[in-house]
Amino acid sequence: MSTTALKLARTTLLLLVLAGFYLVVTQQHKHREDIRLTTVTLTPGCAEKLRRYGLVSSDRYRSPYVLQRTGSTAPLRGYSDEDVRAIQRGCNIIDDTQGKQAKDTGNERWNATRFIRGTHTSCDHCHQGIGDKQDGHGNRMKGSLSLGASWVMADMYDRFTGMLLPFELRQMQCFINSSNGYKPNIADDVLRDITAYSRFLSAALALKIGNHYDEQGIDEIPASDTPKQGDDYVRGEFVYKQKCQVCHGRQAFGLEANGQLVAPALAGPNAWNTQSRNYFNYVSTILPGFICRNMPLGAENTLSNQECRDIAFYIGNLPRPAGDREGPVVALQHQALMTFMPPLMRLTESTRKSGVSAALPPERNQ
Amino acid sequence: MKSLEAVLKLPLRKHWSDLYGNLTVGLTLALVTLPQAVAFSVTLAGVPPHFGIYAAVWGVLFCAMLNPSRVFHGGPNTAMSATIGVTLLPTAPPFGAEYMGYALTLGLMAGLIQLMFYLIRPLGRMLDLISEPVINGMICGIGLFLIFKSLTTFGGLPLNTEVEWPLWIAWQSLLAVVEVGNVHAIEVGLITLITCVIVQQFDRLRNWAILLGIAAGTLYSEYLSATLGLHNTLIEQIGNLSSISLVYPSVPLFNQESMPDVISIVPGAVTLALLGLFQTVAAMRRMTRKVGGFTDSRKAIFSDAVSNCLLPFLSSLPTCASFNRMWLVHKLGIHSKLAIVSSALWLLLLVLFFAKVIAIIPMPAMAAVIILLGANMINWDDIKPHLNDRREAIVFLASFLSVLLLDLFGAVIVGSILAFGYSKWEQAHPNISVRGKVLKIRGNLYYGSLPVIESMYHRVIEREGSAVIDLSDCYYIDREGIRWLAAVKAAQKVDLADRRKNENRRGTGDSKRASGKRRDRPDRRRRSEF
Repeated sequence: MSTTALKLARTTLLLLVLAGFYLVVTQQHKHREDIRLTTVTLTPGCAEKLRRYGLVSSDRYRSPYVLQRTGSTAPLRGYSDEDVRAIQRGCNIIDDTQGKQAKDTGNERWNATRFIRGTHTSCDHCHQGIGDKQDGHGNRMKGSLSLGASWVMADMYDRFTGMLLPFELRQMQCFINSSNGYKPNIADDVLRDITAYSRFLSAALALKIGNHYDEQGIDEIPASDTPKQGDDYVRGEFVYKQKCQVCHGRQAFGLEANGQLVAPALAGPNAWNTQSRNYFNYVSTILPGFICRNMPLGAENTLSNQECRDIAFYIGNLPRPAGDREGPVVALQHQALMTFMPPLMRLTESTRKSGVSAALPPERNQ
Repeated sequence: MKSLEAVLKLPLRKHWSDLYGNLTVGLTLALVTLPQAVAFSVTLAGVPPHFGIYAAVWGVLFCAMLNPSRVFHGGPNTAMSATIGVTLLPTAPPFGAEYMGYALTLGLMAGLIQLMFYLIRPLGRMLDLISEPVINGMICGIGLFLIFKSLTTFGGLPLNTEVEWPLWIAWQSLLAVVEVGNVHAIEVGLITLITCVIVQQFDRLRNWAILLGIAAGTLYSEYLSATLGLHNTLIEQIGNLSSISLVYPSVPLFNQESMPDVISIVPGAVTLALLGLFQTVAAMRRMTRKVGGFTDSRKAIFSDAVSNCLLPFLSSLPTCASFNRMWLVHKLGIHSKLAIVSSALWLLLLVLFFAKVIAIIPMPAMAAVIILLGANMINWDDIKPHLNDRREAIVFLASFLSVLLLDLFGAVIVGSILAFGYSKWEQAHPNISVRGKVLKIRGNLYYGSLPVIESMYHRVIEREGSAVIDLSDCYYIDREGIRWLAAVKAAQKVDLADRRKNENRRGTGDSKRASGKRRDRPDRRRRSEF
């Protein structure tokens, strides 16, 4: 083949590839647009919450929650059909990130699982009550990581890095670290819909921009809030076994039954990574705060500060994935720990048990 | 004219035609460099366009003054700009005042590290040991990395602001562009890319491909803005360049508050310094071979180091050799510093007078240019020779993959280790042929290669009972080798042969070298010891 013919063939092929790329782009955009126009099937939790907060398409919005609590409510700008669908999709993503209740995960949750490595993580695990945790009397709970209260601090300065952190970037940190995943692009529908839902919550709860609320973020527990005994692994393991093991499992790898997730992993491949602020050895005040205010479910605020710190210290020392910025070598090291530690621990525990039972007199052994 | 020539006794016609030629080449170079300078600074480094433009003006001028080579063309560089972007993204938001301060600090630190390579001679000499497969592997890896990195800008999406592993970013970015990218931006990018690809096929227009591509992309973007409105197309443009003047003084960010961040970017500075020097030394080596002649690579290190120490005070990106632009100078057939100096001045004039035109260039067109440059860095003709030899292929692939799987710093470290490992491996494995009981060694006989030679020697002794060691093609013997040869000779089972006896070891036929004086060289004396 002559040089000119070869050049022509190569150029034609390249142009065909670029044309194919453009075709794929237009198809995908059309597909996304179709999804945006499709009626949303809500999860039971979202259907209840959004009904309670009176989300309908109209020119004006009046919050039933505020009306019930204060006896009056000011009319706010309403929501279009498009807004309502975005809020509904956002609520679904928070409640069921893994799409276990969806008929088509890709379409109904914007492929949110693509940005999460493990099989357990759902936004609702940290942002409980679908991002708006309340007690039986409808009181918003302190340190419950409320999404509505988080949105009113929309563009806050991150206190660790000092950088101005828009709400979407904060969501990215959740995806990268707490979900040990990848970050969606800031223009992705996942982030847009979560933001729409969070903003709706702030309107429904009458939260004001820039204000501080108790349910905002974590009620952190530093070591100075304890009786200065120091954080203790053995005490942490003891309390964990008493209070947490029944749901989260012996090695904190989470619990699944009949294909449904009962409790999320606190360690192992499905848990948050070492760059997450939940990781005790990175930030030592956040996980104890979360445990004290949000755990055990239904018996919140029953653990002492010291117990929370001990449990967090114990969990922090269990194997978990490395953060992306730590590089492939550290990732490999953590992967090895996650693979070999659990069987070793099981072996040690069984040996210890049999050793103890052999040492005990027969009547105590029974 | 003739009378003037007669008075001045100078061939003015020749001088005039030389000057015209130099100025034309300078203008061509300036037109080629301008879009690259803007694209590198905005798309890769995350700093305003004037950083790249000043690198293409002052960087080129400094290098032209300090480097004795007549084809050396400095200025902004793709890999270095990408390193700045990757290093600084976690520390501050791009295009911010703090980010720009850190970019200057990073450049200054890189310059100081390069100066260290110049002042400590063995350190600079080590750069010559970086082998071709390592450099080509890194260049191909960086080419692919550039394509990945430009994807989001190509799709009109914001840059992700934290560092992940490059391949994962690439995959996620591609999906994001396909699913949620700005279709108008993608169209502009594709038109730029297609124009560049088509124009590149014509040899005469090849060097104008980028410029014509950008012109096509800009025209289409303007058409879209006119018909749909910029608020609907949302295509990002380069923006205002009115602040550009002859000099734009700046000071790198060094204060107590910024120290933790400055310390955190030190590995980035080392990467930047090494990447610059690798490319400068490699480009110098290749170009001087093509042009004929020799320029000491130390002088290139000096010119890069001094330029990079000065440029941060002139709001400029760091500089290093550009093989493509040097190749262009060579192809245009003018080997003169005047052409290179005039390219910098032309570029400054272009920016001063056409700032408004440059301001409307769309960012996706810039990203398309980077994608094209990245693709051009992956050249099959450069790769093919390395795949013929297994060892070279392994070194090439390892160097290539380390850019994609590790970060750029990791890649530089792996590249350096591989280069030294490769050269040591080559030295430690001499070519040994056995014919009967004759053991012919082609290579070095030293402590590293002795285990390989000994194993072959013992095999021959076991089989034949005695051996002849032929040292005719042995380049170097160290003291350990001499001791071993003395020991085997003492065992009475070995004869040593050197067919070059009474001749010069290097066999050049030079009578001076073959004289008695040369025979008294230390290696000769060492040979006579046994």
